[in-house]
Amino acid sequence: MIWQQFANGLAIGSVYALIALGLTMVYGVLRILHIAHAGVYALGAYMGLLVFRFIPNFWLALGLTMVGCSLAGVIIQRYLYMPLLALPRIVPLIASIGLFIALEEIFRLIAGPYILSFPANPGLGSIQWGMVRITSNQLLVFLVTFSLLAILWFIMSRTKLGLAMQATCQDLETASVMGINTEKIIATNFLIGSALAGAAGVLVGVYFNSVYPTMGSIPAYKALAIIVLGGLGSIPGTVLGGLLIGLGETLLLGLTDIPFPRDALAFIIMILILMFRPYGLLGKE
Amino acid sequence: MVFLAVRSLTKDFYGLKALGGVHFSLEQGEILGIIGPNGAGKTTLFNIISGLLRPTEGEIHFQGVPIHHLKPHEIAMGGIARTFQIVRPFNNFTVLKNVLVAHGHRFYPGLLSLALPFEKENHLGQAREILARVGMEPYQGSLAKNLPLGFKKQLEIARALALEPSLLLLDEPMAGLQYEESERLAGLIRRLREEGISIILIEHNMQVVMDLCERIVVLDHGVKIAEGVPEEIRTNPQVIEAYIGREENVA
Amino acid sequence: MFGGYIITVSITIGIYIILAISLNIITGYAGQISLGHAAFWGIGAYCSALLATRLGLPFWIGLPLTIALTALIGSLLAIPCLRVREDFLAITTIGINFVVQAVFLYVPFFGGAMGIGGIVSPYSTSSFFWITLIFVILCIVLDRWLVRSWIGLALESLREDETAAAISGVDVVKFKVAAFAIGSGLTGLAGHLYAHFMTFISADDFGFPQSIVILSMIVFGGIGTLRGAILGAVILGVAPEIFRPVLDYRTLIYGGLLIFMMRFQPAGILGDQSLLPRMFRAVRQRGLEPMRTGG
Repeated sequence: MIWQQFANGLAIGSVYALIALGLTMVYGVLRILHIAHAGVYALGAYMGLLVFRFIPNFWLALGLTMVGCSLAGVIIQRYLYMPLLALPRIVPLIASIGLFIALEEIFRLIAGPYILSFPANPGLGSIQWGMVRITSNQLLVFLVTFSLLAILWFIMSRTKLGLAMQATCQDLETASVMGINTEKIIATNFLIGSALAGAAGVLVGVYFNSVYPTMGSIPAYKALAIIVLGGLGSIPGTVLGGLLIGLGETLLLGLTDIPFPRDALAFIIMILILMFRPYGLLGKE
Repeated sequence: MVFLAVRSLTKDFYGLKALGGVHFSLEQGEILGIIGPNGAGKTTLFNIISGLLRPTEGEIHFQGVPIHHLKPHEIAMGGIARTFQIVRPFNNFTVLKNVLVAHGHRFYPGLLSLALPFEKENHLGQAREILARVGMEPYQGSLAKNLPLGFKKQLEIARALALEPSLLLLDEPMAGLQYEESERLAGLIRRLREEGISIILIEHNMQVVMDLCERIVVLDHGVKIAEGVPEEIRTNPQVIEAYIGREENVA
Repeated sequence: MFGGYIITVSITIGIYIILAISLNIITGYAGQISLGHAAFWGIGAYCSALLATRLGLPFWIGLPLTIALTALIGSLLAIPCLRVREDFLAITTIGINFVVQAVFLYVPFFGGAMGIGGIVSPYSTSSFFWITLIFVILCIVLDRWLVRSWIGLALESLREDETAAAISGVDVVKFKVAAFAIGSGLTGLAGHLYAHFMTFISADDFGFPQSIVILSMIVFGGIGTLRGAILGAVILGVAPEIFRPVLDYRTLIYGGLLIFMMRFQPAGILGDQSLLPRMFRAVRQRGLEPMRTGG
């Protein structure tokens, strides 16, 4: 029983990690709380579904969605955030919330307020280990998330681009003095982060077989709690935070009868941790 | 009784020693200079005295009272005021309002006094007097952010004076100033000293330190390497080593 | 005197104005970003509703108790906010909103998903309008007094630079708590009026989207100014009524407006740096030019 919940929690947690990664990457370079990121995630689910309706191939839908969402991310960065960078933090934050609200409404107006089904699992089959059954949906989530994380890790630690991204994250001004094209790096952060969010949208759509306009609202705020746990801007911290929250929620609600909503749990953990570590789990002053 | 006594003050940052057992004292009415290469721990020392940082070890006594556990506002009320190396006036306030914030220190602890209006003629008058002392009265209506650097630094001193301090900590007041500006500021510091305010001055400009200070403490890598009157410091081999000899050692 | 519809909308706007003034004290004056203001409002409404339904306290006895309780709970909730700054503070307040709403929704004492109903208002709708109006005026007077007092100066100095304020004698912790206490005391007032006006409240009324609406009010109008808070509350209170004919697009317009305002008029309609007040000052200064002093 507990191992079954463990598998369920890990699947949810890895999707959380995928969503929160983009958020943390954006925060790392621009210090903006990019709430509209969850709009990109929902956009991903709709985009994937649209592609899938024309050509029913999961991998094609996933690939095209990631391309489409990365484009959307770069547009948001270019035309919404860049002009607001010098202003007080609350300005881009509210603009971002505005965009998120607008995106949800656009989805609702175009695709309707209904829950659409997204039966796109390519049929990986399921695995049975004693009592634990990993469903084919979970297998898909693990496979895709793990591959994307591996690619991200490779880019960040083994390529020149990744090193430049890390330097920019550390200190935007110094990086720019050192001759790094920071504008390009910032765009790359949005590009990669939004592609990951799009992938997460497709995965969640398929995992729960449902796509609907407000599917981004809970992840939007939960991802904030996760990146805070990870210490705003830290990629390993964020992956860890996502998995922890996913596991924590599932285990606590699956194994106890505490009548508490799973969506508030992430924030309770976050507030408790911030009381003792005001800069997050892996964060520094 | 020693006016200010700093005893074996130590500060660790994540295992790095910013200060390693610094020891010195200050007499009332004295101007003490603190010099040392970059990273010597001078600003850290000021941050600890003014309560922005807690020391890892060691004690600070001001007029016989231990103050190293107090919060910044308590230290400010107790009569120790400071300025910053990188100026931090309240940018969107007028010059006069900047001074009023510190002038309010006597009203902040109360409950009833807090509710009184601050734009009363007597408060404004007292704030203007302080501005007059630093020669900034004509600029009282300007926004702090629009002032040139020299005036921003003078404004910080005015704000500090509004606390009616008996000890003033000045963190590199001359840095970045034009010649005339720093002359003006040096004159101001001398006048404050004549008014009876004790001063600790961190400064890079050796000429200024030698001219203004009666005694000098030299820090290097968080440790006091010398102390004495300007003449002694000028000829102290260890000080010369710290300032000039560094490159030879590296090479 | 007016139609019932206008009175109802006016009372709602009055409550919005009180909420905007209270958030403006915390965020506009003291500079502490709060994205969870609806939670404080909800605490006020629930306190008021419980005092009225469980203890049967009359309106005017429940009022001071609600304000005091909400101010107390608000200052307690401010404790986690004291340790964190800026973005961490923003996220912490979002977290507080979600947690408080979850408590209302899941703890049976607070009526669960059913909320609390049966709150009896002793007044007719039109009397309620006058009562609300009087409280709005009182809040405006309170705000004017606050910004002119030493406490207001201390709060504004925190917004400008916390460290510089501390070394100038401002007790950072005390004044941050004071900002949250005054602000949430006022939300207690707003909650009391709301609970007795609606006679029924539920957790849904006090969610995070509602916090965004309140924050939008002060940002729209011009953060840190009283006139901005009032104007923002009026605009966002009237807008849903004006856009009723295009009901389906109302939220989209709201989102679009947020983006548009931030992009082109980030200091709000009446903020000190915005177009309208600058034009107004320019016109006025032309008349008063010889009297101008200083820089």
